[in-house]
Amino acid sequence: MEDIKETFYHTVAPLDFGYNYRVGTYLQRYIDALKDKKILGAKCPQCGKVVVPPRKYCGACNKVREEYVELSQEGTLENYTVGHITLEKGQVNQAESPYIVGMIKLGGADNLLVGKVAGVSPQEVKTGMRLKAVWKDQTEGEYSDLDHFEPV
Amino acid sequence: MDNKVAIVGFNMASALDLETTRERLSFDLTRGLFDDLGIERDDVGTFIICTNDFLDGRTISNVFLDPSVGAYMKDESKVEMDGLNALTYACMRILSGQYETALVATLALTGTQVSPYLHIGYTLDASYDRPIKLLNELSAAALEARSYLAKYGYSEELLDDIALQDLANAARNPNQARRLEGVSKDQIAGSAYLYEPLRELHCYPATDGGCMMLLASEKRAKELCDKPVWIKGIGRSTDNYYLGDRDLSGSISASQAAERAMGMAGIKDPRKELDFAEISSLFAHQEPLLAEAMGLLEPGKAAEAYKSGDTAIDGKLPINPSGGPLGGHPICSSGLMRAAEAVLQLRGEAGKNQVEKADVALAHGQDGVCAQQSVVVVLGT
Repeated sequence: MEDIKETFYHTVAPLDFGYNYRVGTYLQRYIDALKDKKILGAKCPQCGKVVVPPRKYCGACNKVREEYVELSQEGTLENYTVGHITLEKGQVNQAESPYIVGMIKLGGADNLLVGKVAGVSPQEVKTGMRLKAVWKDQTEGEYSDLDHFEPV
Repeated sequence: MDNKVAIVGFNMASALDLETTRERLSFDLTRGLFDDLGIERDDVGTFIICTNDFLDGRTISNVFLDPSVGAYMKDESKVEMDGLNALTYACMRILSGQYETALVATLALTGTQVSPYLHIGYTLDASYDRPIKLLNELSAAALEARSYLAKYGYSEELLDDIALQDLANAARNPNQARRLEGVSKDQIAGSAYLYEPLRELHCYPATDGGCMMLLASEKRAKELCDKPVWIKGIGRSTDNYYLGDRDLSGSISASQAAERAMGMAGIKDPRKELDFAEISSLFAHQEPLLAEAMGLLEPGKAAEAYKSGDTAIDGKLPINPSGGPLGGHPICSSGLMRAAEAVLQLRGEAGKNQVEKADVALAHGQDGVCAQQSVVVVLGT
C-alpha cells in the first residue's frame, strides 16, 4: 500500500435538519400528568410490571399495557454517575461543575427512571439514598416540570 | 454447522487519524487483500458492505464504495450494524449454496470525520431520553460500570487493572490505533474523569479504521489459503432497549448470544474448551462484565483474575490479547477486527501478542447502548 502523506482539503458537510416525533398517547398522558405534579407509569396485564415513563408495548409479553398507574413521588437511588463533562452533538466539553445523573426506583415502579439529582454533593451521593421529586413552581406540561430529585 | 464456512483472509488498518478518505481506505484494504490472496474482484461471489449512513453523512452510503471495494455491478448488499453482523450475513449467503465466496467490507472514519459518540447518542429514545439530555454513550457506560462494580463490591482500581492489561497489549500490537508505549497504572488512574467511575483511559479512543475479510465455502477455502479458520458457531441476542428496564450489572445479550454460538459449536465448558477470547469491550468494565456473561470468567472473581494474570496473554484464558477496543474502535469494523485478531492468533501469526495455545477462540461484537445487542462467533482451526 502506498504511504502518501497528503494534506487534505476538508469540506464541512453539515446534516442540519429536524424531525417531528409524535410522542404517542402514553408519553402524552405522562407529560399531561406532570402539569398536575403527578408521575404516571403503565402496567402490563400479563407480567404485571409497571414501567415509567409509560410505554405502550411490553417487550417480554408482547402485550399492550392497558393500565396507567400513579407512582409515588419518592424513591431510592439505585445507580448514579457524576458527570465531569457534557456531551452535546457528539462534542465533549468540560462541565461547569460536576453534576449527578441518577437512576431512581420510584415506589410502585418496576424499572428505573433516569433523572437529575441535586441537593446533595457529588462526594456525598450514595446508592440507596431516599429521594423525592422536586417540581418547578409553575408547571407547564413539559418534561422539565419534574425538575430534579433531592434527598428526602 | 453442517456445511463449513471459513475465513480465508483479511486486511485491516486503524489509527486515530488515518489521513485518508473513505474511498481510498476501502480501495487500499480490499486491493491489498485481493493481492495477498492472488485473486481479482471477479473471484468474489457477493459483497457485504458494512458502514453507517449516519456516520458517513450520506444515505445509502454503500453505493459510493462499490467501485473502490470491487463491487461494481456485482451482487452487493449492506449491513448497518457491527461488523460481526455482516460476517453472519456473509456466512449465510455462502451456506445458501448460491455463493462460494463473500467479501465483508467494513469501515468508519470516526476518528476524524465525525464524533463516534453520535452513533449511540442518536440511538436513544427521541421522544424521552434525548429531550431529557442526561443519557449519552459515556454517561450510560458509567452507570453500567458503577452497577457492575457495586454488584461484587469491586473498587474503581479494578478498572485501572483492566485498562492497563488492554493498553499494554495494544501498545505491542501494530494493528492498534492507540499504542501507549510504557503505559502505567498511575497514568490510567490519573487520567481525567469523564463520568465517574470512568476515566479517559478506561474508554475507547475515537478511531479511524477499516477491516475487509473474505469468507469462503470449504472447497474454495482450501484452494485459496493454507490456513483456513472455520466458523464453528454464531449466536446473537438483543436486550431491552430502555436502560431503566435493564440490569446493567450483567449482559443478557452477551450471555444469550454466547450460549447460542457455543451450542452451535458444541462447546459445553467455555473456560476449558476456549483458548482465548476477543471481546468488544468499549469501556474497561465491559471486559469482565461481558466475559462473565459469556461464561469465560467466574462471576465475582474478576479482581483476582486480573491481579493474578489469568486474563493476560500468558494466562489461563487470555482476554483481548490484541488489546481490544481500548486500543481502537472504528464503529462497524470493531467486532470484525476482533474476529480478525482471533484469526491471527489461530494461525500463530500474532507476533508479540501470540498466545501459546490457539485452536478455538471466541469473538464478540456489540451494538447499541451498553451492548444492547451482542454477536458471538466461535472460530477454530
